Amino acid sequence: MVNFTIQEVRALMDKACNVRNMSVIAHVDHGKSTLTDSLLSKAGIISAAKAGDARATDTRADEQERGITIKSTAISLYGNLTDDDDIKDIDQKTDGRDFLINLIDSPGHVDFSSEVTAALRVTDGALVVVDTIEGVCVQTETVLRQALGERIKPVVIINKVDRALLELQVSKEDLYQSFSRTIESVNVVISTYFDKSLGDVQVYPYKGTVAFGSGLHGWAFTIRQFAQRYAKKFGVDRKKMMERLWGDNYFNPHTKKWTNKGTHEGKELERAFNQFILDPIFRIFAAVMNFKKDEVNTLLEKLSIKLSPDDKEKEGKQLLKVVMRTFLPAADALMEMMILHLPSPVTAQKYRAETLYEGPPDDEACIGIRDCDPKAPLMLYVSKMVPTSDKGRFYAFGRVFAGTVRSGLKVRIQGPNYTPGKKEDLFIKAIQRTVLMMGGKVDPIDDVPAGNILGLVGIDQFLLKSGTLTTSETAHNLKVMKFSVSPVVQRSVEVKNAQDLPKLVEGLKRLSKSDPCVLTFINESGEHVVAGAGELHLEICLKDLEEDHAGVPLRISDPVVAYRETVTAKSSITALSKSPNKHNRLYMIAEPLGEEVSNEIEAGKITPRDDFKARARVLADDHGWDVTDARKIWCFGPDTNGANLLVDQTKAVQYLSEIKDSCISGFQWATGSGPIAEEPMRSCRFNIMDVTLHADSIHRGTGQLMPTTRRVLYASALLAEPGLLEPIFLVEIQVPENAMGGVYGVLTRRRGHVFGEEQRPGTPLFTIKAYLPVMESFGFNADLRSHTGGQAFPQSVFDHWEILPGGSPIDATTKNGVIVQELRKRKGIKVEVPDVSNVNPLHVPLCNHILTFVLSTTTSYKRIVSFLIDFFKLRCTSVATRHVTSGSQISRPFHAMITNHGPVASLV
Amino acid sequence: MASLYSAPVLSTPETHIFEDPTTLIAPSLSPRYTDAEIYTIYEVERTAQEITTSGWRTVALQFPDSMLRDATRVFEALENTLAELRANKLNHDGAFASSPSVKQLDSQHKLCILGDTSYGACCVDEIAAEHADAEVVVHYGRSCLSPTARLPVIYVFTSRPLDLDNVIQSFESTYKERGKEEKIVLVADIVYNSHISEVSAKLKELGWSNLLAPEVIHDPASLLPNRKIEVTTEELKDYSVFHISDPPPALLLTLNSRVKDLQTYATSFPAAQQTNSAMTLRRRYALLTSLSTNPIFGILINTLSVRNYLETVTTVKEMIEKAGKKSYTFVVGKVNAAKIANFSEIGGWVVIGCWESSLIESTEFYRPIVTPFELQLTLQGDSERIWGGEWRGYFGHLDALVIKAPVSEEETIDVEVNGDKIVPLEADEDSEEESAPPEYDLRTGRYVSHSRPLRTAAQSMPTAGAKSTEDSTQTLVRRAKMDLATVNGVVSPGAEYLKTQRTWTGLGSDFQDVETSQDIEEGRSGIARGYTVRDNERT
Repeated sequence: MVNFTIQEVRALMDKACNVRNMSVIAHVDHGKSTLTDSLLSKAGIISAAKAGDARATDTRADEQERGITIKSTAISLYGNLTDDDDIKDIDQKTDGRDFLINLIDSPGHVDFSSEVTAALRVTDGALVVVDTIEGVCVQTETVLRQALGERIKPVVIINKVDRALLELQVSKEDLYQSFSRTIESVNVVISTYFDKSLGDVQVYPYKGTVAFGSGLHGWAFTIRQFAQRYAKKFGVDRKKMMERLWGDNYFNPHTKKWTNKGTHEGKELERAFNQFILDPIFRIFAAVMNFKKDEVNTLLEKLSIKLSPDDKEKEGKQLLKVVMRTFLPAADALMEMMILHLPSPVTAQKYRAETLYEGPPDDEACIGIRDCDPKAPLMLYVSKMVPTSDKGRFYAFGRVFAGTVRSGLKVRIQGPNYTPGKKEDLFIKAIQRTVLMMGGKVDPIDDVPAGNILGLVGIDQFLLKSGTLTTSETAHNLKVMKFSVSPVVQRSVEVKNAQDLPKLVEGLKRLSKSDPCVLTFINESGEHVVAGAGELHLEICLKDLEEDHAGVPLRISDPVVAYRETVTAKSSITALSKSPNKHNRLYMIAEPLGEEVSNEIEAGKITPRDDFKARARVLADDHGWDVTDARKIWCFGPDTNGANLLVDQTKAVQYLSEIKDSCISGFQWATGSGPIAEEPMRSCRFNIMDVTLHADSIHRGTGQLMPTTRRVLYASALLAEPGLLEPIFLVEIQVPENAMGGVYGVLTRRRGHVFGEEQRPGTPLFTIKAYLPVMESFGFNADLRSHTGGQAFPQSVFDHWEILPGGSPIDATTKNGVIVQELRKRKGIKVEVPDVSNVNPLHVPLCNHILTFVLSTTTSYKRIVSFLIDFFKLRCTSVATRHVTSGSQISRPFHAMITNHGPVASLV
Repeated sequence: MASLYSAPVLSTPETHIFEDPTTLIAPSLSPRYTDAEIYTIYEVERTAQEITTSGWRTVALQFPDSMLRDATRVFEALENTLAELRANKLNHDGAFASSPSVKQLDSQHKLCILGDTSYGACCVDEIAAEHADAEVVVHYGRSCLSPTARLPVIYVFTSRPLDLDNVIQSFESTYKERGKEEKIVLVADIVYNSHISEVSAKLKELGWSNLLAPEVIHDPASLLPNRKIEVTTEELKDYSVFHISDPPPALLLTLNSRVKDLQTYATSFPAAQQTNSAMTLRRRYALLTSLSTNPIFGILINTLSVRNYLETVTTVKEMIEKAGKKSYTFVVGKVNAAKIANFSEIGGWVVIGCWESSLIESTEFYRPIVTPFELQLTLQGDSERIWGGEWRGYFGHLDALVIKAPVSEEETIDVEVNGDKIVPLEADEDSEEESAPPEYDLRTGRYVSHSRPLRTAAQSMPTAGAKSTEDSTQTLVRRAKMDLATVNGVVSPGAEYLKTQRTWTGLGSDFQDVETSQDIEEGRSGIARGYTVRDNERT
């Protein structure tokens, strides 16, 4: 039975310093859910016998079937420390011995890392699970990085120790070395993402922040536990003992003294960790697995383990399980580690407040968060939606960062696009119910104070995926989560029966809600598209859609890849476009934005909301921009936050601020669907070089300038060696040496590019890192499996965009040209890419413009000018871009003047 | 000099997308007609007959741009023929009873040529004709055959010659594999329609038994637009259509779901081709779904003559209003991208025009432009919209739908917790009203707030009304500074846009960022030899 009541939990919630919010994160198959089971069994939620097999936090049928976690699941547990010493060891404020642990089990597969992000946001600590044998894998690193980015403190458990003992039969010293290597690599990751305000969060076994164990068998230990046992025996202080039980510390039985030398009079000494910790474990394993009943009994007596008569009858692995579980219960070790070393909300929110909150650090909302004050205005972040038993409705799952939320409270719901003072994305609604999330079930609760995790009923129609809830009218948003994965794999779905369309549409809405990362939309050719992070993710989503959300038969297309359009060089000449009434002219140059800037924009480091001066500083210092240019960024696009910039480089143009809105609209429009194949643009910088406007405002209205801006953007992009960007996966493949040939074969065939290969020390396993175009990744896993006899395990995650090789996309004879034509055909638009002359037929006025400039700035070259007017009239009307071969005919000062103006020079 | 290079100031842009959707043979290519040809092609005889029989005096001749060069000759020919007819009649009458009244009636006919049309050459320009006080319009060239409201019309389709043998050959090769029992409807573009009976007779001789050759009627809403067909909707699905000359896109879309398939015999290209407009229809679907969360619609009037257009405008307005959205009505003459883009507040446009020109397939427009039929689907709401590919260009059948409010009734989740149903708690009594939930925008996959700006007004109106009667005697309502105009208690969406979305709000608005002036300090004074700064220090 559950050994705690909702009333108890509610009482504990008030003591925020006794709350621990933590998530369990790891690489796929390292045993998160299994380990979580042991905690649940301790709390009486599942029976001890089932722990390890039940995977109680995998609440969905397909999770159980496939044996992987797909959705993160939260559960609240009650824990207490019986020992006064333990309480003393907590280095933060505590109140009493009882603790509330809100635990979130998260999926390990890369495709679902958005779930991890959502889980991390609402927790303060993370239990990082690492497989003894596989060590730190790509996903371990990714989730750890995410955790540290959110300022979340990690503790580590090295799992599956039983496998090392039973399957690999390693020696004690080898096991120690393997442990220490793993810890080392975890610490390498942690120190790479060192954050000053979080402090040093590297993990050390001798500090008790690393545990070792087996989730399947339900046992685990920390050095602290053993130190406690031995401290009495040796009569040493526990802390000293802990330090001695790890690293190069030896107990010399001859001198009965501790030493840090590995030898004594030529004889090898046994490492203290091996001698005092691993030895008893090894002995139990040996005795049980070799069926030495007597030895087992003596060992049990020695270690004062008491078994029930039933259990005593068991043999082999069953017995081993019982013995180990009684000897070193996993829940105790984990509980102790979490309570002692993970921060309470009070502690954590002090340093997390500034990264969590978008607004100024000194307003009431931020101060409330910082102090984790239950009496402050409510600040609650909804990080994801959890489906209810009622079809189509969701619990909003989130955390109270400040204030107290209760049923019936009227709150302001602020969507991700809310800006203070505006009405967009702002709703007012009363919360119907607050509930406590208990795995697959919920328990109603009246109110929840700051620092706790909860579910909310009745606000799901207002938020798509996440958002901020507050009672303060001035509060800004809590920062929107940034996911490490992007939905780059798309499939379109259609109903088999037209009458089912409304159901599909409804299903797509629900699907979009139920997953933090999935995107559903209708593309411009009228297809309903579902976009996910990878093939598996998409497969799960579509299955959900067909069977659950929509419940109608669907036709699903082959996966396709979303491209982006970009430019690879500076526009060869200044592009010019005239407004329909021919009274206004825009001059534009496109150039690549640079991968670094684009990445920072996409990562949310450079945003349109930044103060323009601060942003200009960053661009100038880190990316070599000109400060004046950087200050004159008009906007980001598409969607006002994409990685394309419109920069005003004009000098002293009258009425410019008046046409800004029109230009921005045109820019958003153009970057949303580019000139080559109506795909969104990325990583382009457009410089407005000059603008001529009609003096009457009626002739320079939106209607004149918006289409013109779009045309000139297209023209400048087409003149700047346009290219297509394709998404690239980073693939990490674990494979034994003998199957590596197959991996390389498959990768080469699929345009893969291997850039890293390393052997995991002590194993025959190799880790291959490669870049693989997403387009080529469909069916990759199956292909790999068949070519390696099922020995290779790949993990693919979107990494970056790369120029699609194969010639210019505007040239129909190249490979890219063909791809573009197919894209255009699929979209039902004219197959030919618009020619520059189509959008930009007007080079002639450019020359006129130059001449006007010349005329207005020179007085003493009248003769030359009149000659040139004749000259240009002839040349420009025929071929505008032809080079003037007879440069000598032009007088030198004038020639210099032309060459000094870059775009002009390239024109003549 | 500059004028040599650029178009004259304020010239109308050359891109008129609303013009006759089918391209005609470029005028310069076709040879000039002989006088005899003028008589036959422009059906002068028939026209004159009809005019005299009905006793019309003032006649407007409407030519599409491509035929304008023949206009004067047609004019002359018609005038001559009419004069002849008058003379004949006079003689005829004179022989029996020549009364003065008849003489008066038979005075000169007044003809006039209508050049540039207000909207499209395919529609009858009644307004222009009324300016000339015409009693009848003679419409030359291809026509969309939309019923007109005010004036009688004589249609002259200006038949074109057709290579009949080639058509029959192409027909046979197209349907050879399907056998002679194949059900086929033979349709030709208006200008080739005169050949239809001949072609069908010849084909029937060749043994094509299930051949239909429907005659022309003035009903764009017909099952086969503008053709009289006597089969049911279901039966028509078994027929394939053989279309002579390229059909206008609107016809393509309309037929897509109604017939089995469509083969086009292009007059310029000898073999018949299968035409499939599924892709275009899908793009239309994308377009109309993108408008489902749009709060502000513009109604674009693109005809002044199609019958019932005003009623349709009213219906469309009502539809939009019922959906809680705002509509503005525009008449801009011939539509182009620049004119439309001037109204950036408008999120989407509905065109009320003739059935052929309402379909605008251009990416040049900033916001989507849909037909009333598509608007109907858009406003239907996601829970009811069914898209089977049917499409209509003509707005005649637009019934004012009962648009159901999208599920906005107070929803409560009955959460079952361990078997107990939890009744939601009563909300706090609070002065602030709860907001309506946002809507999911299918096109982008995001939530959109305030997609029905006028819905809230409808809800709060009764209470507001009650209050206002009570307080009607009270003094003026005080308004906060910078408050926006309200309509029925709701801020006007257009004004709201102006306030929130635009950065440029008029002169002076670009100086707001300039830092505020500092306190006035006393500066230096004195002469250059040594100025006095504040405390009489000399520098």
